[in-house]
Amino acid sequence: MSLPTTDWSARSQELATLLSRVALGDRQAFEALYRATSSQLFGVVLRINSDRAQAEEVLQEVFVNIWRAAGGFDVARSQPLTWLNSVARNRAIDSLRRRAAEPATVSRFTGLDDDEGGERDLLEAMPSADAGPLELLDQAAQANALQQCMQALSGQQRSSLALAYYQGLSHAEVAEQMSQPLGTVKSWVRRGLLSLRACLDRAAGLVDSVKGAA
Amino acid sequence: MDYSRPALVERLAAEYALGTLRGPARRRFETLLPAHPALASAVQAWQQRLQPLAAPVAPVAPPANVWTGVQRRLFGEPVPAPGWWQRLGLWQGFTGVALAGVLGLGVLLSQPPEVQPPLVIVMNSTEAGTPFVKTGFVASISADGGALVLKPLGTLTLEQGRALELWAVPGKGAPRSLGLISAQQQATTLLRAHLLKDTAAFAVSLEPAGGSPTGAPTGPIVSAGTI
Repeated sequence: MSLPTTDWSARSQELATLLSRVALGDRQAFEALYRATSSQLFGVVLRINSDRAQAEEVLQEVFVNIWRAAGGFDVARSQPLTWLNSVARNRAIDSLRRRAAEPATVSRFTGLDDDEGGERDLLEAMPSADAGPLELLDQAAQANALQQCMQALSGQQRSSLALAYYQGLSHAEVAEQMSQPLGTVKSWVRRGLLSLRACLDRAAGLVDSVKGAA
Repeated sequence: MDYSRPALVERLAAEYALGTLRGPARRRFETLLPAHPALASAVQAWQQRLQPLAAPVAPVAPPANVWTGVQRRLFGEPVPAPGWWQRLGLWQGFTGVALAGVLGLGVLLSQPPEVQPPLVIVMNSTEAGTPFVKTGFVASISADGGALVLKPLGTLTLEQGRALELWAVPGKGAPRSLGLISAQQQATTLLRAHLLKDTAAFAVSLEPAGGSPTGAPTGPIVSAGTI
């Protein structure tokens, strides 16, 4: 997957510049990067590990990690925010195995196709774009495509993916949360991911054909 | 497991990005990632696909002790006075400068090259610097003095915890820091106004990681060349 950096937002460009300077050991750039992203990454960590003290510890690890691994960030292969977000998610997920066996995560999720479900709210809040053909090429279009593809999944598939992504739940925890057998949940997740990729690939094909025609 | 099977690679990458790959399987997968480009690119593709899901997650400002903790863990430094990071103006200014740098580079790259040839300076390694850095550098400076590209002449290796800093040395007075230079083989590009103004020589000094703490060279000069 190659990412044409010319299509990036000013924010992405700025974060990429900061990351490249952090890779050279530039502390000023590191502080600027912390200023620009710590609230967002703390939000991500707190979703997965809701223990406030642990989440603060995890966020420290995240930035220690960013300082040490910034040289491995490859502008040609990922967007800076995706890379930063993935570092945060991975450290947060790692912190869960240190947690007591009983997960403290309490989901406000209520039902499979229930519009009042907490997770549904998050999905609906994803940026959507009633975009024209050219705007389809930007990030909002990616978000829009993902939102539409999420909506195309079955309720169970969508719910299992949302619980795993937003709450950091394992298969077993998703199964418990949804009162379903483990095997059933595993297959919802697997099929959900497969359908999602097929749907996103179709959407990307459409964007490419518009791009080709333009 | 046979990581050469594309369907398996794809499933593991997806479950890794989603977060459902857990425990020993997750740790094993993480240790394999750096050595297996196919795994790594499948993971990156899935992280990119799922990234929009993170957009609606509300930001939460972390308490100040997180940043001081990060600094202590990385640099073992005494904690700076509280509130300094709240000087928003400084950061906005800094961000503006960074953005201007990006735009400036864009403008520079989009313009046809100058007809005037660049000034090329060979910077030999010094006796004092030989124990630390075994190579010299070559600096090419655009004729207008606005851009400099520095490349190591030989193999550049540097101890952990050290950095190299480039200085513009005037005929008289204190050297000006031009910033840190890459410790890898690649070239370092610097954009500065008036690189050549009052400059008699360029020099590279050995510094602690993060650069000279004083604003003047603190370690030995490892390489230097006069204009």
